[in-house]
Amino acid sequence: MDISSEVREHVLVANIGERIDGSNALDFQNALGALIDDSERDVILDFENLKYISSAGLRVILMTAKTVQRQGGRLMVCSLSESVREVFKISGFDRIIPVEDSQEDAIAATRS
Amino acid sequence: MKSAHPFKILVVDDEPDLEPLVLQRMRRSIRGGEYTFVFAGNGIEALEVLSADPSIDMVLSDINMPRMDGLTLLEQIPQVSPDIRCVIVSAYGDMKNIRVAMNRGAFDFVTKPIDFEDLKVTIDRTLKHLQEWREALASRDKLVMLQNELDVASKMQKSILPTTFPRSPDYQMSARMQAARNVGGDFYDVMNLERGALGLAIADVSDKGVPAALFMMSCRTLLKGAAIGTGSPGPVLNEVNDLLQESNDAAMFVTALYAVYDPGTGTLTYANGGHNTPLLVHPDGSSEELALTDGIALAVVPGYEYEQASVTLSPGDAVVLYTDGVTEAMNEQAEEFGMERLIALFADGASTDPEEAIDGIFRAVNDFAGEAPQSDDITCLVFRRSENQA
Repeated sequence: MDISSEVREHVLVANIGERIDGSNALDFQNALGALIDDSERDVILDFENLKYISSAGLRVILMTAKTVQRQGGRLMVCSLSESVREVFKISGFDRIIPVEDSQEDAIAATRS
Repeated sequence: MKSAHPFKILVVDDEPDLEPLVLQRMRRSIRGGEYTFVFAGNGIEALEVLSADPSIDMVLSDINMPRMDGLTLLEQIPQVSPDIRCVIVSAYGDMKNIRVAMNRGAFDFVTKPIDFEDLKVTIDRTLKHLQEWREALASRDKLVMLQNELDVASKMQKSILPTTFPRSPDYQMSARMQAARNVGGDFYDVMNLERGALGLAIADVSDKGVPAALFMMSCRTLLKGAAIGTGSPGPVLNEVNDLLQESNDAAMFVTALYAVYDPGTGTLTYANGGHNTPLLVHPDGSSEELALTDGIALAVVPGYEYEQASVTLSPGDAVVLYTDGVTEAMNEQAEEFGMERLIALFADGASTDPEEAIDGIFRAVNDFAGEAPQSDDITCLVFRRSENQA
């Protein structure tokens, strides 16, 4: 899975692909794992391009959030489409993982 | 060419001088434990040796021999030793026989007079190919074995899903799961509780495959235990949530909806652990989603307190519990089935008789998906309070 990433103001911002489901969740997990390896940074997953996420994808997000927390950082997600936002709401993930409207909002939130 | 045992090569030639020559020229490889040689004087003898000794790996055969020639031998070998590799020794430039030999399954050829350096390269290449072939066969067998075990796991998993459902003058119900892969992560359950109450559960474990199936099994067992021991939906989810936290390094989670129906009052009390909201369908086909109870998926937050809510079913009201495999089923244009189509199904007059409703929902979802591959388990449970109460 292609994840492009950049460091903005000491925050790691990763742009996620169009679809995360059972077929690519493991790739996604490995790719994210490599990105956040040993960093103590806050991490923002930008879902601008994400159209569909299955529970397998949510599991990877949850694992990643736990890893980031262990390393002293925070994980946030931003720019959710309506359907992805719905998945976060139904599963209750929006109450565990901060959801921001845009990358700028998310970066601002990491400063707080 | 190295292996645990020396490779055994059968040399077939009517020329008696060849045997001492081969043993002499190949003595290093023989002493080094790379190969051993056995010999036969013609095709008939060769077949006898092959049937008596299944440990032979490779045949090196001349073409012109009395009783049975090398080309006939090539035809006969697969019936005796199907996995053996054959190399033919032909006269220099005898392309016609070489072509026949290759078409009959020879792996390679060398020409006379034999250049022993070239022969060794040819033998090593042939044996390397053989070894790779055998490894591929072993992997294939292992894969078949794993596949069989997965099939067994899948059958076991399906066998724990109830297929007969409690019936009463007060209510009817039915449920079904259509698994996406061999072993899935969805399940439903129904439990007879005290004082005629009925426990209904539907759940979806994150991810699919074997780890999800194992997690699903423990969820289902814990939920059943808690349902029978604890009673009300909120505390049942609290208990299951806390028990699932233990040893969950893989960050698996499960969304679950658990409901208890009290036939005395027609009340359905439910708690939602991050699961899709059930649909309440009235006898006229109108419907509404049940009020959210804001729960988080189970096994995510330790000590989370699950809220519960109640709704009183009027006679003829049906409740549709489903997993996201229903609403997120995709067609070939990557559109989702969606809540709207589920609602429209009943608005357009689909039966709310549980069995017919389940049939209708699965038919609609499968028709919608068409040739698009099913990426998630599809599970649905329909419960209806009887229209004409006794």
